[in-house]
Amino acid sequence: MSGATPTPSTFRARPIPAAAGIGLRAEHYRELLAARPAVGFLEVHSENYFGDGGAPLHYLEQARAHYPLSLHGVGLSLGSTDPLDRKHVAKLKRLIDHFEPALVSDHLCWCSVGGTFLNDLLPLPYTEEALELFVAHVAQAQDLLGHQLLIENPSSYLVYRHSTIPEPEFLVEVVRRSGCALLLDVNNVYVSSRNHGFDATAYIDAMPTRAVQEIHLAGYTVNVHPEGEVLIDTHNARVHEPVWKLYRYAVARLGRRPTLIEWDTDLPALEVLVEEARLADAIMDAHDAVADWDDESRDAASSATQGTIAETKGARRKANPTRSARSSCLES
Amino acid sequence: MAPSLREIQQCFIDAVLHEQVDPASIVANGRFPAARRLQLYRNNVFESLTAALRAVYPAIERLVGDGFFRYAAHEYVVQHPPTSGNLHDFGNRFAPFLAAFPPASRYEYLPDVARLEWAWHEAFHAADAQGRSRAARNVASGAAEVPPLDPVSLANVSPEQYALLRFQIHPSARLVASRFPVAAIWETNIQTDNDVPEIDLDAGADQLLVVRRDLTVEVEHLGPGEYALLEAMSRHEALGEACKAALAHQPDLDLVHCLQEHVRRATLIGFSL
Repeated sequence: MSGATPTPSTFRARPIPAAAGIGLRAEHYRELLAARPAVGFLEVHSENYFGDGGAPLHYLEQARAHYPLSLHGVGLSLGSTDPLDRKHVAKLKRLIDHFEPALVSDHLCWCSVGGTFLNDLLPLPYTEEALELFVAHVAQAQDLLGHQLLIENPSSYLVYRHSTIPEPEFLVEVVRRSGCALLLDVNNVYVSSRNHGFDATAYIDAMPTRAVQEIHLAGYTVNVHPEGEVLIDTHNARVHEPVWKLYRYAVARLGRRPTLIEWDTDLPALEVLVEEARLADAIMDAHDAVADWDDESRDAASSATQGTIAETKGARRKANPTRSARSSCLES
Repeated sequence: MAPSLREIQQCFIDAVLHEQVDPASIVANGRFPAARRLQLYRNNVFESLTAALRAVYPAIERLVGDGFFRYAAHEYVVQHPPTSGNLHDFGNRFAPFLAAFPPASRYEYLPDVARLEWAWHEAFHAADAQGRSRAARNVASGAAEVPPLDPVSLANVSPEQYALLRFQIHPSARLVASRFPVAAIWETNIQTDNDVPEIDLDAGADQLLVVRRDLTVEVEHLGPGEYALLEAMSRHEALGEACKAALAHQPDLDLVHCLQEHVRRATLIGFSL
């Protein structure tokens, strides 16, 4: 990164394959670089690389030479009534310019008011005012960054009295008005569906297929209270079975997508992350096998061209009654 | 009339930071009361910010113990919550906070240990000696590129100009002085083994250079003259003034050797006239 401005990136711009990837964490730098496991991509928290030099950027450069990269942010605070933090945006842009990530994401959330930041992804009230503000901030951030953003659906533990728009609808509008894409966190959908009692598959059905460019999977924790259970999105365990099930449903509906195994606390051995990534790959492969078999049957029955196959494939998935019926027992 | 988004967010943050604020006006009750739901966010916020402080101040945590550390961290978060979404900046006032924190007043060395740990944290993330462009390009547009110090070019400076030389110190270099042996206290308390040797608090003062050499942050003891020299240079004093300060603190300092060493080890990475 030395030299005069602006230094062209030394990395090949690599798109992220529709395969499973893992988070890159400091504890795994050396092992990952030595073993170089066959995963589709690496994802990091952008803010962990906001330093000006030293080990984090050094190791990320090394890792980036071998893997496509996704930059996942937790601090843009796009839903805040505070103006966008230009310094934060500039630091993110510096990372984007240098590392040429395939994907850049942040959350449908807010973190600050009046310049006080809480280190958490706080839920928004879903109102027209919040929608307008969020869309404006996404559009502004995309302009400043020169990069499309993926917006991730949050996990939440409360709803506001004044919310008027269902969360999936809010997301659809954000996409439509700002031109951003979506990061569908299947664990968050599951956690929120359990906490608020909505139908997780209906939520996924509401996502605009093409806009979903990445999927997140993670483990949650169950908190037991006198009034009942609350699921907390803790990213500290293997993906739970109901979330795998919901993931199968999402893949059946959306097709293959870059899928991240998120694990942030109580970090396991690197090989555990890779194992979890293999499970996600296997689900995508199984989906492909079924889709291919369906297509072959369809081919035999018609003389359709490649182009129309692709179209009918999309239509079939959308309307597939068998899959919807099977998945509706998820909530039981 | 429905509250504005700003009013909702202000109420939420106030309720997270101050338990006496009731979130019931903005949060729906449902199966759980609003206060219980907000408590989940309060837990997450304090847990994650305490973890962030713990990551920067492992020796402080070891010295005061987990319970006291959580208590101090909670008070710190309430008094000095983060002011940006970049968590690297969080915790910068922990040393003065501890100095003014009555429950910690018996442990006079704590603020100095905290200052050492913050210096270590800053050194870890500071710009590299070469390629400071990482920092400069988009963020600090006024910052200049840092050239590596070429000893040959130094030899070309005529002797009558020596006093006017201004050395550039490594961007990661931080100077920490204490009347306590903080380096020994710190070093002992970042080890994970259970046997902590006794440290004599009267073992003498420390004057330390914290600097990243390659990728590793080092904590190095300096003599009084050497400390004064680097301290003056970090204030961009010219060599003449810096040497005066060094000799005032340590008349017998071997200035030439001292300068050569810090050039060789890249504490000093450039100069200008």
